[in-house]
Amino acid sequence: MLRPLILALSLALSLAAPPSARADVAAVVQNHALPGYATLADAASALDAAAQADCAPAALAPAWNATFDAWMAVQHLHLGPVEEQGRGLAIHFWPDPKGRGRAAQRALLAGDPATLTPETFANQSVAARGLMALERLLFPATDALQGDTCTLIRLTTADLARSTAEIATLWQQGFAASLTTAGEPGNPRFLSQAEARQALLTQLTTGLEQLADQRLGRPLGSFDKPRPDLAEAHASARSLLNVTLSLQALRDLMVNLAPDSPKSRAAFDSALARATALNDPALAGVADPAGRLRIEILQQSIRATRDALLAELPPQLGVGIGFNALDGD
Amino acid sequence: MTRAAALLLCTALASPALAADPAAVVATYADIAAAGYGDSLTTAQALQSAVEALIATPSESTLTAARAAWLASRIPYQQTEVFRFGNPIVDDWEGKVNAWPLDEGLIDYVDPGYGVNEENSLAQLNVIATPKFTLSGTEIDASQITPAFISGTLHEADGIEANVASGYHAIEFLLWGQDLNGTEPGAGNRPFTDFLQGDGCTGGNCDRRAAYLKAATDLLVADLEYMAAAWAPGGEGRATVTADPQAGLLAMLTGMGSLSYGEQAGERMKLGLMLNDPEEEHDCFSDNTHNSHFYDGLGIRNVYLGSYTRVDGSTVSGPSLSDLVAAADPAVDTRLRAELDATVTALQAIKTAAEGGFAYDQMLAPGSAEGEALIMAAVNALVTQTASIDRAVTALGLTQISFEGSDSLDNPGAVFQ
Repeated sequence: MLRPLILALSLALSLAAPPSARADVAAVVQNHALPGYATLADAASALDAAAQADCAPAALAPAWNATFDAWMAVQHLHLGPVEEQGRGLAIHFWPDPKGRGRAAQRALLAGDPATLTPETFANQSVAARGLMALERLLFPATDALQGDTCTLIRLTTADLARSTAEIATLWQQGFAASLTTAGEPGNPRFLSQAEARQALLTQLTTGLEQLADQRLGRPLGSFDKPRPDLAEAHASARSLLNVTLSLQALRDLMVNLAPDSPKSRAAFDSALARATALNDPALAGVADPAGRLRIEILQQSIRATRDALLAELPPQLGVGIGFNALDGD
Repeated sequence: MTRAAALLLCTALASPALAADPAAVVATYADIAAAGYGDSLTTAQALQSAVEALIATPSESTLTAARAAWLASRIPYQQTEVFRFGNPIVDDWEGKVNAWPLDEGLIDYVDPGYGVNEENSLAQLNVIATPKFTLSGTEIDASQITPAFISGTLHEADGIEANVASGYHAIEFLLWGQDLNGTEPGAGNRPFTDFLQGDGCTGGNCDRRAAYLKAATDLLVADLEYMAAAWAPGGEGRATVTADPQAGLLAMLTGMGSLSYGEQAGERMKLGLMLNDPEEEHDCFSDNTHNSHFYDGLGIRNVYLGSYTRVDGSTVSGPSLSDLVAAADPAVDTRLRAELDATVTALQAIKTAAEGGFAYDQMLAPGSAEGEALIMAAVNALVTQTASIDRAVTALGLTQISFEGSDSLDNPGAVFQ
């Protein structure tokens, strides 16, 4: 007799956390994920239309930047359609520590032109596709890719438009419901509403980890060996912009998931203020002592934001964080 | 915490005799670690003997025997990978023995078309052919290739992780050489004459190549001696998980979840497939990746079920995590056991296909629908089981704050007291 009673009590406790729990997940879906993916698909479609009309790099840069901006609003969501068929990797393959992207693109440009069709392109290595592949074509460095880059640009933008449209559609037609019907019979992915909340909280904390450890940590390297050349998208000088956009996107996710989180909001705002004040688009400052200190302070501020979230959100949401894609190396 | 405490309290009241004891569960875990690292050590010692025979008398047969010894040594070692995440003593050490992927051109000659890494100026160093070189402005004397030189100077030189100078994969490269078959079948094809002293030496510097192979193998044995001792009675790894059984349980689940998802499903399997790149194979020189993946998956299940079959066929087993989860939430336990089995089955399908002639390289080829289906089935199974490992964490009332290494793991508190 005692056992069911206490079980019932424990269930009541677990559900007592937020009566609006389901609304929180629904808010993330409706206000954050769905509009984010729709904007991304529109931007990629406009980029592709522009590329098919004129593949001149200078003309395409604004549409490419707009697509990258849109991607940064959802880049932290490592769940659902973006994780299937390698779509997320094919949109944004970074970091690329072995320089596979350039090598794969060089091989495509040197190969039989007949193999460069939309059908075969979709089967190519993710390193040869997506936003970073386009950056190498639109913002050529000293070691510029040679060959029929116009065709390659058009194939890449078409592939990007296709995959982002697929993601937007698959969210609308299935994965949004998977999150909002968490715990209902017939939902194999989320066996309770708490699991959906946990999945979203994990995206949030992992996104902050990636910002601090990779987007800032890679160029920071060590004091003796800073690596400005490893900053994300430094060729197009969007490294800092990506950090800022990602912070804004993660803040938006948090505000929808747990609106009543004053300490986390304050931490985000402080990190965003530091990013805004930095004025170092390619994060080249990692290599000089003063600039480096300011980037390290931003990194600390992002880690402090993660700590604030971990103190404030789990009790509200009634969940801890789960495993994430950055576990491991 | 309140919820978990209530659940555990009621479990204890309802069936005190059936509730597994966390202290006994972590003791089983430490026993499996001790047996796994012990088996890794003895099989590495067998590899050491085989390498000495190869160096003493290079021939087709001594090279084949050394390769066979390396393959045998991977079977127990891969089953210990589940101990890595969650145990700082293992995670801090692991890079010495199993670092991957590597810029093998650091060590020995490579095909001119391979080994390019724009981020690593040492990617084509070839230390075997280079007794003196400059590293970050300092002149390095590499005239003697010793274990101390490999571990102290060359490994992760310049702070670059791809400069892997020690461990299984460095040895694998010296025994097999580069696999130049792309996404076609076939492993590396280093001739035994690469170790012939005097006339007949191929690849140049056969004396230094032999010295490197011996030093790297001796180093591996020494590193495994350290880890086997750490899990033996009185060892530091065992002491850490048994001192606080709740933290030990979290270490167990952290190892299972992190290996399943971020490491094996993501970094090792899905990424390689999406890059269509055979160099992303975990055991790329020897074409042993199907086994490496299989025994990783088996190791994850071993920890949950509290049972490990040793290389001599005997079994180490005891009270298990499965027993504890079943007491807390039988549905989670049933589901997780089924999912762990499904993963092993999916990994077995890859192993069977590879042994039947469909090499892992071929599975990675662009447009290989059959290969993609095999690999993605295992990736999906690993991702699916990760969600249930999360459920097991919740069912046991444990809290995870971070899985980045283990230094910031939350103290889950005295749930079971």
